[in-house]
Amino acid sequence: MKALLIGEYRQGKLLDTTYELKAFADRLGADSVMLLVGSDSELPKYDGTLYLADAAKYGEYNPDQHKQLVLQAVEKENPDCIVFVHSSYGWDLAPRVAVALKAGQVSEIVALNEGAYEVNACNAKLRRTVTPKSGRCVLTIQAGAFTPSGEPQGTPQPERLELSGTASAIEFVGYEAAEQKGVDLSKAEVIVSAGRGVGKKDNVPVIAALASALGGELGASRPVVDAGWVDHSHQVGTTGQTVSPKLYVACGISGAIQHLAGMKKADFIVAINKDKDAPIGEIADVLVVADVMQFVPAFTAKCAR
Amino acid sequence: MLVVACIKQVPDTTQVQIDPVTNTLVREGIPFIVNPYDAHALEEALRLKDRFGFRVAALSMGPPNAEATLKKALALGVDEAILLSDRVFGGADTLATSRVLSEAIGRLNLREKVGIVICGKQTIDGDTAQVGPGIATRLGYTQLTLVDRIEKLDPLLGRITVRRKLEGRHETVEAPLPVLLTVVRELNRPRYPTVPMRLESAEATVQVWSNRELQLDQEGIGLKGSPTWVSRIFSPERQKGEIVGDGAADPAGAADLLVDKLLSRDLLVV
Ligand SMILES: Cc1cc2nc3c(=O)[nH]c(=O)nc-3n(C[C@H](O)[C@H](O)[C@H](O)COP(=O)(O)OP(=O)(O)OC[C@H]3O[C@@H](n4cnc5c(N)ncnc54)[C@H](O)[C@@H]3O)c2cc1C
Ligand SMILES: Cc1cc2nc3c(=O)[nH]c(=O)nc-3n(C[C@H](O)[C@H](O)[C@H](O)COP(=O)(O)OP(=O)(O)OC[C@H]3O[C@@H](n4cnc5c(N)ncnc54)[C@H](O)[C@@H]3O)c2cc1C
Repeated sequence: MKALLIGEYRQGKLLDTTYELKAFADRLGADSVMLLVGSDSELPKYDGTLYLADAAKYGEYNPDQHKQLVLQAVEKENPDCIVFVHSSYGWDLAPRVAVALKAGQVSEIVALNEGAYEVNACNAKLRRTVTPKSGRCVLTIQAGAFTPSGEPQGTPQPERLELSGTASAIEFVGYEAAEQKGVDLSKAEVIVSAGRGVGKKDNVPVIAALASALGGELGASRPVVDAGWVDHSHQVGTTGQTVSPKLYVACGISGAIQHLAGMKKADFIVAINKDKDAPIGEIADVLVVADVMQFVPAFTAKCAR
Repeated sequence: MLVVACIKQVPDTTQVQIDPVTNTLVREGIPFIVNPYDAHALEEALRLKDRFGFRVAALSMGPPNAEATLKKALALGVDEAILLSDRVFGGADTLATSRVLSEAIGRLNLREKVGIVICGKQTIDGDTAQVGPGIATRLGYTQLTLVDRIEKLDPLLGRITVRRKLEGRHETVEAPLPVLLTVVRELNRPRYPTVPMRLESAEATVQVWSNRELQLDQEGIGLKGSPTWVSRIFSPERQKGEIVGDGAADPAGAADLLVDKLLSRDLLVV
């Protein structure tokens, strides 16, 4: 079995998730080659063929051209599977490649199971096993699901890829950084976070009151931030802050991997959720099965006594 | 110009329960809803209609009961609603789904030029995020995923500028029509149907297209045209945290128990 791994380079840097692709290939027992639209100045530590296209020329992301580059490498290597990380990059590019190759695609793989792939469903409450029937398939892996066992090592043998003038329809206009301001949660000893289960913006002060009764800070999951209930600086998770408090209280948070990535290092985790099967229960030390708006005020009253 | 919104009817996954004996999904009694991202896709299509006077079509592939979802779209103001429903479409994976949807869009395009197709960024039941890009690639439309704002649209020049929501940053890009957008929730706030609109739409009918209309080769659709299949759905095993008290029936009692737990670990400053 041979895997073509599509590394990722963003804002001038090689992303660490690139090494997770190799860990995934190893776990599949597959030989691998890698493709990277990146730069000579930062090559991945990887033993094997590295198809390298210059990001200065093809853009860090230029969908039409990157698709052509992947198809070129597929032509040369004839791989059984083409593997991306399920990031915004893989998200956008993988299905283009799959349809162009008429190959089946399995998105956001979290585990392997005897040649089949396991993916989450219904907010990670369920798992499903997906089996590709087509000879060749396109796969995306969940970031964080396949971690390398040790420090990455190796020296790649670069082979240049060039395109003969396929212009792209999409013109890049600019980047805009997400706003960074406000609290620094990374040093907080206690964090009480509000999730979508809080219900509405008007309920957020109830969670904030618990945070202050416990002498801590308010945190939030992404949907709560996206909805504008809480400022982005309070967001915990892969696209927010990574925290390691002594006590983390998750109120109405389901426990999506991107949220867990930001808080699983907390010493003691309390989850308040009306669903006893919510995935947050997997890592919580204690779970209170209740409606947040009923339980939290009662709990705050006792803490503040 | 015609704007097409692709909407899928999905089970309300927040209400999905797992049968503890068989370890599978309990399907009975789970309400069906419009895939939440698709509600934003539909809303954006309607906003383009309000601003530019484009016509809007809502398109869904699914079983006959998905008609209910399209009725709602009619109540919100779409000009036509088309249900793609046929036994031979059943069991489709994303490749086969995008085949049927793109064929239908191709047919609409023969009647009136399609400029913009809007999909949700993903569904909450399949979660693959592949269908939109699949349609774009098949039709040769420009694909713009994860759109959280349409910055500019110039129908005469046939160009669109959108903002894409990426990890920790936004990207603005400009592209030629026709485009396929996949959209995130931040894009807009979906409207509710008014009573007069609801009444008016009671008359409107959902068109149903089967494969008699689409004439697709059966090798490329449904179960046969699907290179992936789901062999098992199960609930992942996990070690659960200890459940403290009965928080639903007795919040105060559970709060006492939790306070004790935190005190015993020196996590509570009282
Ligand atoms: C690339 C990427 C990056 C991301 N980055 C982040 C990130 O940094 N941080 C982050 O948090 N997410 C992130 N996400 C989103 C993440 O995947 C989840 O969607 C998100 O964490 C879910 O938030 P939630 O738990 O608040 O909401 P939901 O998943 O909707 O969960 C709500 C929970 O509340 C419970 N509930 C509902 N009502 C009540 C009630 N009345 N009382 C008690 N419980 C109730 C429900 O049972 C459910 O478990 C990212 C996603 C992607 C794709
Ligand atoms: C449990 C389960 C697991 C599955 N796993 C896989 C898998 O790993 N690989 C695979 O190829 N298929 C898989 N499928 C099949 C796939 O989900 C269906 O084929 C589905 O029709 C399209 O995929 P999606 O729901 O993931 O849509 P997505 O690609 O996530 O949807 C994106 C957008 O496309 C539009 N859209 C999607 N479906 C429709 C529709 N029927 N009508 C109108 N618009 C639509 C909507 O705008 C939607 O927001 C799975 C299905 C289930 C139920």
